[in-house]
Amino acid sequence: MHTDQKINVTEKKTPLISLVGQPNSGKTTLFNFLSGKNYKTVNYPGSTVEYSISKILSKHAIDANILDSPGIISLIPSSPDEKISVNSLHSHPEFGTPDLIIVTVDSSQLSRHLLLVKQLKDSGFNVIVALTMKDILHKKGFDISEKRLSEMLGCSVVSIDGKTGGGIDKLLKSINENIINEQSGREINLLRLPHNKRKDSLLEAYREIESIEKEVLYSRNSDDNNKAVNLAKINEKLVVLNPSNTQNRPDQNTLALDKILLHKFWGLTIFAVVMSITFTLIFWLASPLMDLVNEGFTIASDLAVAALGNTWYGNLVSSGIISGVGSVLVFLPQIVLLFLILGLLEDSGYLARGAMIVDKPLSKIGLNGKSFVPMLSGFACAIPAIMATRTITNKRERFLTIFIVPLMSCSARLPVYALLIAFLFPPETPWLGGIAMTAIYIFSIASSLVIASIVNKFSNKLSGDSGHSSFILELPAYRKPKFNVVVAKTLSNAMQYVKKAGPIILYLSIILWFLTYFPNHSPQIDTEGKQEDEVSELINSERIATSYASTFGQFLEPVLKPIGLDWRVGVSLVATLAAREVFVSSLALTFRVTDTGDDMQSSLLQAMKNATIDGTDQKLFTIATSAGLIVFFVFALQCISTIAIVRKETGSWKMPAIQLVMFTGIAYIMAFITVNGLRLLGIN
Amino acid sequence: MKTAAELKPGEKAIIKDVNNDHPSAHRILEVGFTPGQEIEYISGAVFSDPMAFSIRGTIVAIRKNEASCILIKK
Repeated sequence: MHTDQKINVTEKKTPLISLVGQPNSGKTTLFNFLSGKNYKTVNYPGSTVEYSISKILSKHAIDANILDSPGIISLIPSSPDEKISVNSLHSHPEFGTPDLIIVTVDSSQLSRHLLLVKQLKDSGFNVIVALTMKDILHKKGFDISEKRLSEMLGCSVVSIDGKTGGGIDKLLKSINENIINEQSGREINLLRLPHNKRKDSLLEAYREIESIEKEVLYSRNSDDNNKAVNLAKINEKLVVLNPSNTQNRPDQNTLALDKILLHKFWGLTIFAVVMSITFTLIFWLASPLMDLVNEGFTIASDLAVAALGNTWYGNLVSSGIISGVGSVLVFLPQIVLLFLILGLLEDSGYLARGAMIVDKPLSKIGLNGKSFVPMLSGFACAIPAIMATRTITNKRERFLTIFIVPLMSCSARLPVYALLIAFLFPPETPWLGGIAMTAIYIFSIASSLVIASIVNKFSNKLSGDSGHSSFILELPAYRKPKFNVVVAKTLSNAMQYVKKAGPIILYLSIILWFLTYFPNHSPQIDTEGKQEDEVSELINSERIATSYASTFGQFLEPVLKPIGLDWRVGVSLVATLAAREVFVSSLALTFRVTDTGDDMQSSLLQAMKNATIDGTDQKLFTIATSAGLIVFFVFALQCISTIAIVRKETGSWKMPAIQLVMFTGIAYIMAFITVNGLRLLGIN
Repeated sequence: MKTAAELKPGEKAIIKDVNNDHPSAHRILEVGFTPGQEIEYISGAVFSDPMAFSIRGTIVAIRKNEASCILIKK
């Protein structure tokens, strides 16, 4: 049953230290203390399990790599991702077997966290215990004897203060001693714990841990000590097994707060308020920053044209490359803000409560309380949102969450809605526009939930193997979020977005640039009596009207006609495959709008008002067709990066293919119904 | 036999056993719901599902259906 591994560590290599711990045990905080901010995140090959690896900070004077693994509850895995985590703890395909494991243990819930320590020791790992959250233990009126714990466990025990980093020097000393011991040529014999779920062996382990707990925990002052003894005596009479004791009470402040925050009525109300504030902050705080990024890239693009001239390569650099990079980075402020707020909510302990509150309604449509964070992130950008589904252990629920995330109204749709709403509602009544925008968001949430429930009913094939649905989540004690840890995590997430979405959007925008620039790259136009700016804009418009993209747009025209659109809108829709917000600028190009900047929107709106369907007097943009376009954007999957990330996270092309066909199909049908329905009602 | 799913908010009980037939049983034991431990039902979401219990110094939320495999005595 046991598989033995013999690893010889005599050969000189940089020692590997793995950080292991239960979720919420202070593992990431410790990792940041040891590694600083210079870590890289790597995927376990062929899976979505992620590791951070770093050299130990040079100021600590230890030459070792430190690996931060995902939080695990037990060495006996309950999901495929956990199985990978456990296997790679024994032998990571890239980094090998750790020479030393530091396991973080929350001292305020010692018995729960010692289970992992015991399993690691039983497997033969070289272990150091890092005790965290001692402030919470002290608040409960208890203290812990590190010396006694170290004797009973047979390994080094060091206390770490997560706020100040106190105890790190002791930990380093302990690491040094351990590594020197290792390098003196001892062989590590690792035992693989049997992966069967034996109840009796688990209960036996807990009994052993409880006896350790009784030995090492003591009351902080003598008065309390007497009480504790008395209490224990009373309990012994009442209960035969394991008397309930005061150290097993959760944090009192947390209990008091949860009376309100998990209250049936107030809990829900506060949850709604917190979510509304989160949303508002993400959109309001981000928008001036996004404008700033936009302006920066417009200036850079102009500078490139000025430096390279109005040539094809000048244009490639300015419109293809710089705008391409810009369209990736413009969402960065929003993504950073989203992760920052989510990080603060998570670190404070509230996010777990949020997941609990929405678990029931979400489970009705085949999702999980843990689907909630990814869905929320989807309102900023589907890419980080889809990566965030990894916390969902049930494959079916995870796949269904990935499936509907692209239906959340991501921020790239915002400029499109803004333009069309500005077209539909006169500027004198901005509140009407506000209501319309809110209505669009509510509509998109409602329809994504409907689609989720339908897909949940009719498709078991989406994920293949499903397993049983489960929601077991620790609600950690409330605490003040650690800002530096949250910032570090936010930056790492933002970098991941740039790295994953960046290249694909860049390549695509170069291809789109090519399609809109050739074959007629230097069109002849009548320049008489026109200013220089105007001439260059007219050249641009003429070029796109005779480009490959336009040919393709015209090819699409029979499909576009039923929803009231023509080839010019078609070109813009093709261009949105790179990034949806490109719709506005490419619409401006195809409608030959000659102003830029602030005036662009008003002249584009004017051009849209005047536009007629080729060869007729019929207006192109009517209330019906604009509403149809909005509906189209609500559903359509027009984002290459999303397709790429879904392929990566689900491991096959099946899901992105279904999404592309289904969402774009629904978009088309719904737009058709909207346009023709409104026309039938006489609204045009 | 009473189960943890039948507790009212604020009620305490001692775990008697965990029903091994439930697919989540092993994970429930692993997070600390072992026989002899005292639990308190802190609060529940709407329809009391999921339910938040105090266990071994922390709070763990589990679905009502999962709480029903925890057998208790008061």
